[in-house]
Amino acid sequence: MNRALRRISIAVLVMFVLLLVNVNYIQGFDTASLASQPGNSRAFYAAQNQYQRGSIVTSDGVTIAASKPSGGNDVIKYTRYYPKGVAYAPVTGYDTIYSETGIEKAQNSLLSGNDSALTVRKLIDLVTGKTTKGATVQVTINSKAQAAAYDALKALGKPGAAVALNPKTGAILAMASYPSFDPNVLAIHDGAKLNQVDKQLLADKAQPLLNRALEGTYPPGSTFKIVTSAGLLTQSPNTSVNTNVDSPTTLTLPQTQHVLHNDQGEVCGNGTGQAPLITAFAQSCDTTFAKIGMQLGAPVLSDMAQKFGMNNANLTVPLPVAKSNYVIPPSQALTAFSAIGQFSDTVTPLQLAMFSAAIANGGTLMKPYLVQQVTASDLSTVQTTSPSTLSQPVSPSVADSVGQMMHAVVQQPEGTAYAFRQDVTGVDIAGKTGTAETGQVSLNDAAFTGFAPFANPDIAVGVIIQGGGYGASAAAPIAVQVIKAYEQAVGHQ
Amino acid sequence: MSSLTAPSPAVDPTGPMAQVSRSRRRTELIMLAFAFALVAFAFANVGYSLKGTLPAGILEYMAAYIAIVLAAHLVMRRFAPWADPLLLPLAALLNGLSIVMMYRLGAQGHPPPISASTVDTQILYTAIGIGCFVAVLIVIREPRVLQRYTYTLGAIGILLVALPALLPASISQVYGAKIQIRFGSFTIQPEEFAKLALAASFAGYLVVKRDVLALAGRRVLGIDLPRARDLGPILLAWAASLLLLIFESDIGTSAVFMGLFVAMLYIATSRTSWLLIGFSMFVIGALAASKLVGHVGERFDIWLHPFTGQNPSNNAYQLVQGLYGMASGGLLGRGLGGGQPYITPLVQSDLIFTAFGEELGLAGLMALLLIYGLIVQRGLQTAISVKDPFSKLLAGGLSFMLALQVFVIVGGVTRLIPLTGITTPFLSEGGSSLVGSWILIALLARVSDSARRPPPRPIQEEGLTQVVTLK
Repeated sequence: MNRALRRISIAVLVMFVLLLVNVNYIQGFDTASLASQPGNSRAFYAAQNQYQRGSIVTSDGVTIAASKPSGGNDVIKYTRYYPKGVAYAPVTGYDTIYSETGIEKAQNSLLSGNDSALTVRKLIDLVTGKTTKGATVQVTINSKAQAAAYDALKALGKPGAAVALNPKTGAILAMASYPSFDPNVLAIHDGAKLNQVDKQLLADKAQPLLNRALEGTYPPGSTFKIVTSAGLLTQSPNTSVNTNVDSPTTLTLPQTQHVLHNDQGEVCGNGTGQAPLITAFAQSCDTTFAKIGMQLGAPVLSDMAQKFGMNNANLTVPLPVAKSNYVIPPSQALTAFSAIGQFSDTVTPLQLAMFSAAIANGGTLMKPYLVQQVTASDLSTVQTTSPSTLSQPVSPSVADSVGQMMHAVVQQPEGTAYAFRQDVTGVDIAGKTGTAETGQVSLNDAAFTGFAPFANPDIAVGVIIQGGGYGASAAAPIAVQVIKAYEQAVGHQ
Repeated sequence: MSSLTAPSPAVDPTGPMAQVSRSRRRTELIMLAFAFALVAFAFANVGYSLKGTLPAGILEYMAAYIAIVLAAHLVMRRFAPWADPLLLPLAALLNGLSIVMMYRLGAQGHPPPISASTVDTQILYTAIGIGCFVAVLIVIREPRVLQRYTYTLGAIGILLVALPALLPASISQVYGAKIQIRFGSFTIQPEEFAKLALAASFAGYLVVKRDVLALAGRRVLGIDLPRARDLGPILLAWAASLLLLIFESDIGTSAVFMGLFVAMLYIATSRTSWLLIGFSMFVIGALAASKLVGHVGERFDIWLHPFTGQNPSNNAYQLVQGLYGMASGGLLGRGLGGGQPYITPLVQSDLIFTAFGEELGLAGLMALLLIYGLIVQRGLQTAISVKDPFSKLLAGGLSFMLALQVFVIVGGVTRLIPLTGITTPFLSEGGSSLVGSWILIALLARVSDSARRPPPRPIQEEGLTQVVTLK
C-alpha cells in the first residue's frame, strides 16, 4: 500500500503546485489586467481613498469642495463635502464612491494625490513623516459673480444657465445652471443609498444633473447677428456701422412663399426700407440680417461661426464643452434663417459668452479655462494656467465696430436692451439680445450676451433661459446682475 | 571470533526523560507559541488598521483562544504523547487566523458581511471543535477500534448525507444547494461529519475486501480491469455521489466524496484501473448532471466566461469580486484591515481564501497553502509509516480528502476549476466545518500516535547479559 500512498502523495503535490502556480499567476501577473476591468470598484477605491482629497477653492478664496475625516467605523476614511453645494455644482461636479464629474473628474488625479506631478512631494512627505494630501485646485470662478448668477437664475425659476468670462484671459468668472443639485447628497458612502439618490436625480424631469452652461445647446436667436455682422464688416471693408443697409419690413424668402417679418411686424429704421447697420442691429431687424446672410452666403457665415468657436467638438475648459453648431443650410431661404440664429444653429451658454468676449478683446478670442492654479499640500505650485489665444475671428477694427453696435443695443433708445442702460444699471454695458422662436412667445428661448464696462471690458456674459420668452426681459436682467456683482467685487463700481 | 552483545540500540540508556523529548511534545509547545504569536500579531494589526488602537476585547479573545488550544495540547501530552508535533500547531494557526478574519469582517462594511458577534461564535465553535478533538483522543485510544464499526459508520455516513435531500427545502436549502439542517437560527451541515464517518467506513470495508478487489479480471488496452462482480461498491459510491449532486445540487462535496473513495480504493489495491474507472465515472456523472441540473451548468459557464456579457455583474459577480480582491492584494497584500473583502459576497465562508489574498497578498496565500500542504504531508507521512492497514487507509484517505477539499475550494475561487460552494477547512465561518476539521486532525493525531509510538521495551535484565567468547 505504501507505493500507492507515495503516488497519492505525488498527486497531492501536483494539486498544491497547481494551486500555488495559479495564485502566483493571479497575484503576480494578472493584477493589472484585473484592476483595469470596468466593474472593479476596488481599484477605484484604492486610487481615490489613499490620501485626503484636496480642496477646490474659488479665485477669491472661497472653499467650494473639501474633505473631512469620516469618523466612526466608516470604511472610507474621508467624506467629501460642498459648502455651497447647489450653486457650484456645475463647477465642482460631484465625487461619489463610484465616479466623479466636473472639476472633481477633470482634476481627479491631482485632487486624489495620485498624479505623477506629485510623486516627488509625496516622497518628501514620506521622508519627513508628513501626511500626504491631495493637491488644492483653485478655479477661476469669482464667488460674487457666481452667487449673483445662480441666485438670479433661481429667482427666475426657469431652466437656464449663465456664464461669465474675463475677455482678456478667457478665465471663467461664473458658471451657473438651474435647476441644479446638491453634490453633498451624492458624497455618501452607502452604495445602495447612493444608487437610489442617483436614480432619483437621473429620473428627475428637470434634469438637475445637466450642466447647461457647458452641455446644454440652444438656438442663439438674434445674438447670432454678432457673427453675421462680423462677416459683413470683414467681407466688405467699406461698410461701416453707419452704412445704410436694406431693411425691409417684410422679406419674401427666395424659392418659397415664406414671408419674413420682424418681430411683431415692427418697422425697421425710419420705414424707408433702408437703415444704418447700427440701427438695424440695435433694433434687431431680422429682415436686414436675413438679407445680409444671403448676400454673404452660408460658407462665409460658417467660417465666421467657426472662428468664434462654433463647430468645435473638442473644446475643454478642462470640463468637456458640447459642440455649438452652425450647419450649412441646403437653400438660400434657410441660409437667411441661419443668419439670424435660427434653422439648425445651436450654442452653449459658454459659446454665447465667447461671442462677446471676442468682440470685447479686440477681436481675439481667448481660450476659456476654469482652473487657475493647482497647489500641493506643501503650498508649492504644481501648475498654473496661462491664458492662450483660441482664435482671431475678426480684426480689431471690425471688433470695434461690432462693439459699437452692441453698445447701441443697450445704450440707444431704439436698442432692444435700452432698459439696462448705464443710467439705470450704473454700468456701461454693451450686448445683444436673442429670442429664439419655438412657435409660442412664452416658450421662446431667451438669450443675452454682452460685456462691460464698454470702455475697458473685464467681463463678458452669456445667458440662456429655456422658455424664458424675450431675451431682453428674461436673460438680460440676469446678465446685468452678474456684471454688477462682478464690477462691485473688483471695485469698478 | 564473534560476540553476542545484548543492549539493543533501540533502548535508550538515559531513561524516561529522553522519551519525553522524543515524543516531541515540547516541539509542539514551541510551535504553538509561534502560532499564538502570529495570531496575536494579526489581531493587533487588524485593530490598528481599522481603528488605530488594539481591538476591543483582544485580551479576552486571545486568552480564550490560547486556553482552548493549550487544553488540546495538554490532552495530547496525556493521551497521544507520540502524535505528530506539527498537526496541532498548524491547525491552531489556521483556526486562529480564521478568528482574526471573522473579527475583521464583522468590523467593516455597509453593512459588514457578518455581524460583529460572529467572532464570538467562531471562538465558541473553536471550543466545540477542540472539545471534539479532545473527546476523539480520549475515547478512541487505538485507531483500529473504529474498524469494528465499519457498517455502523457507513450507515451513519449515508444517513447524514441523505438527510438534507430528504428534508423539505425550507429546512435544508442554502444558496441553491440542499446541504444543511436548520434548527431555528442554528444550522448544521451534516456532510462535514458524513465524510469522516464514510472515510472510516471505507477504510474498514477495504481492509477486509482489498485482496478480492485487487484480483484481475479482463485486460483491456494494457490495463487490468477488476472483475465485474467487484464493481459493486464503487458503483454504490458513484450512485451516492451522483444522487448528492442531483438532489442536493452540491457538486463540490460530491467531488470530494468520489475522490475520497477512489483514492482509498487505489491505496487499498494499488490498482491503477480503479483510479481510471473512478475518475472517468465521476466525469461522466458530472457531465450528465451538468445537462440535467441548471445549477451545475451555470457553474461551468461562470468558470469559463466570468468576464463575458452580464456575467461579471450577475452570475459570476462573486467569483469576479474575489479575483478583484486578490488582484488588489498583489504580492504583499493591503494588510489586514486595509483591503475591502466586504465587497465580495459570502466572503466569510466560500470566498474566505480571497479575503486572505486581498489582505495578506500572494505571500500570505502561499503561506496558507503551505500550511495546508504541510498538514496533508504529515498525514500522508503518518499513513506511510503506520503498520496497521486500517490505520494506513484511514490516515491516507483523510489526508487526501483534506487536500482534495482545499484543492476544490481554493482552485474554485482562483478559477483553476469551476467554483463550487464548499468550505475552506478551518478558515471559513461556520461550526460544522470547523468541528469536522478538528475531528479529522484528531484522527490523524491518533493514527500518528500509534505510528510513532516506540515498540514495547523488551523485558530483560541487563545484569544477566553476558559476553561469551567462542574459540
